[in-house]
Amino acid sequence: MCLGVPGKIVGTYEKGGLHMAKVDFGGIFREACLEYVPEAQVGEYCIIHVGFAISVLSESEALETLELLRQIGNIEEELGEEPVQSIPRYQP
Amino acid sequence: MTAQKITIEPVTRIEGHAKVTIHMKEDNTVDHAYMHVNEFRGFEKFCEGRLYFEMPEITPRICGICPVSHHLAAAKASDALTGQTPPRPANLLRELMHMGQIVQSHGMHFFELAGPDLLLGFDADPEIRSVVGLVGANPGLTVKAVMLRKFGQEIIKTLGGRKIHPVFALPGGVNKSLTSQERDNILKGVDTAIETLQVGLQIMKDWAEKNMEDINKFAVFPTGYFGLTTPENGLELYDGDIRLISREGKEMERFQVADYLDIIQEHVEPWSYLKFPFYKKMGYPDGVYRVGPLGRLNLAEKIDTPLANDELKIFKSLNNGKPVENTLYYHYARLIEALFATERVRVLCDDPDILSTDILNTHKNYTGHGVGVIEAPRGTLIHDYTADEDGKLLKVNLIVSTGHNNWAMSNAVDSVAKTYVKGPEIHEGMLNRVEAAIRAYDPCLSCSTHAVGQMPIQVEVLNPDGTLRQLMQRD
Repeated sequence: MCLGVPGKIVGTYEKGGLHMAKVDFGGIFREACLEYVPEAQVGEYCIIHVGFAISVLSESEALETLELLRQIGNIEEELGEEPVQSIPRYQP
Repeated sequence: MTAQKITIEPVTRIEGHAKVTIHMKEDNTVDHAYMHVNEFRGFEKFCEGRLYFEMPEITPRICGICPVSHHLAAAKASDALTGQTPPRPANLLRELMHMGQIVQSHGMHFFELAGPDLLLGFDADPEIRSVVGLVGANPGLTVKAVMLRKFGQEIIKTLGGRKIHPVFALPGGVNKSLTSQERDNILKGVDTAIETLQVGLQIMKDWAEKNMEDINKFAVFPTGYFGLTTPENGLELYDGDIRLISREGKEMERFQVADYLDIIQEHVEPWSYLKFPFYKKMGYPDGVYRVGPLGRLNLAEKIDTPLANDELKIFKSLNNGKPVENTLYYHYARLIEALFATERVRVLCDDPDILSTDILNTHKNYTGHGVGVIEAPRGTLIHDYTADEDGKLLKVNLIVSTGHNNWAMSNAVDSVAKTYVKGPEIHEGMLNRVEAAIRAYDPCLSCSTHAVGQMPIQVEVLNPDGTLRQLMQRD
């Protein structure tokens, strides 16, 4: 399953006739299309699916979700490094 | 040269992404290509030790892309675990919410993600081959697509409340009934949603007519097909038995979801975290199957709503009544399902029980084990819980649609690479086609931090001796 990681909207603008936003994911900034969530405001959080904001969260909802994700992240680390290091040659 | 690793602290490090590896032969043709999903593994472990009734609330928080599917699958597993069968009105309301999810998810996928490929072409400049280019080419269509998603989303919000994470279904039923005014508001949107979907179907058909060559050489391969069914083998998305049909279209199994481990098993490959489910009796890889829109329409002998059923007849004629094997027809199947879901909204809203307040069965017959299944937009979603007598979860097993389709996606990538890679260099158009092959399955790779309309994908081309020749990356 995938993860819906909330990002914070730090700015909005128009591009090619579309309502767009600059979204902050822990220091990495991405562009997202806001056409599906016209109500979204700077300072709110949103969940993005392939570049489209699909839902808006309040700060408290977003922080709760981020906390859950952090806990899962810690379990991932306990499980160890990625075992998929090299790709074996295909053996038909 | 090492692959660039993007690290976004603290949480996005566990995001999934797709990685494609293409092994070349000496003569610059493709030996074999793989897709591997960097699935994160901690979620089931994270759930163990929690209380079963927390699951309908926690799972949608983690999966922000189809929260309703996880919410309802978790509630259904909990129904079984506590022996609380929901009253009929509760099931109708849950199904109504689910139809909202299907419409919004399928609509968005077709118009915004597949649309640029279909309307602007696989070889279009990536700057244009996105919704931005689509707005330039057809501004009215974008508005229609936004309204279609809103129709689905409003149904979810009406039932689940205004918050993003639905708080609606609970063991034994739901916590909110529908008022007649809310029902009437939902019904008002049905006709417009159907019109938009008809526009989409026409786009799909026009495109198919002009691109038949691509459709017929683009990742066409046989598999079994797996999903829910009505008692009369009709299309079913909310509840029922599971059917598994062969590559020829013959029924191989029909079973209750609680018995799924007798029927399927998960194969492990050393190059992928995500496991590969297959039909036990046939073994791996002969017993692989596909889920999701294409799989469900191959399974369905009819659809119980008239407009979608007319389209199903056309779909069935594509391969003369045999299962349709073309990966690109996932898009067509997705639209037919969205049409069914929209018509089904009307059927559900017209049911006299939909306004009933008999929505929760509180009488328990606790068993400590429950399996819940639902046809999520992307395919069959299974939640399997075992709890102790206090309700604390001892074991959680989730099989998501992207898992069921794992083999098919990897095989689609292999097929596309072998068909389209010519010569020593990999070009942008090739990358677009690999992406389109994966995208047809609409996998739930996490895409939170990725560019508009693009999937997180990394393509590695290896020389015959295993050294890296070329690395292409989208992030």
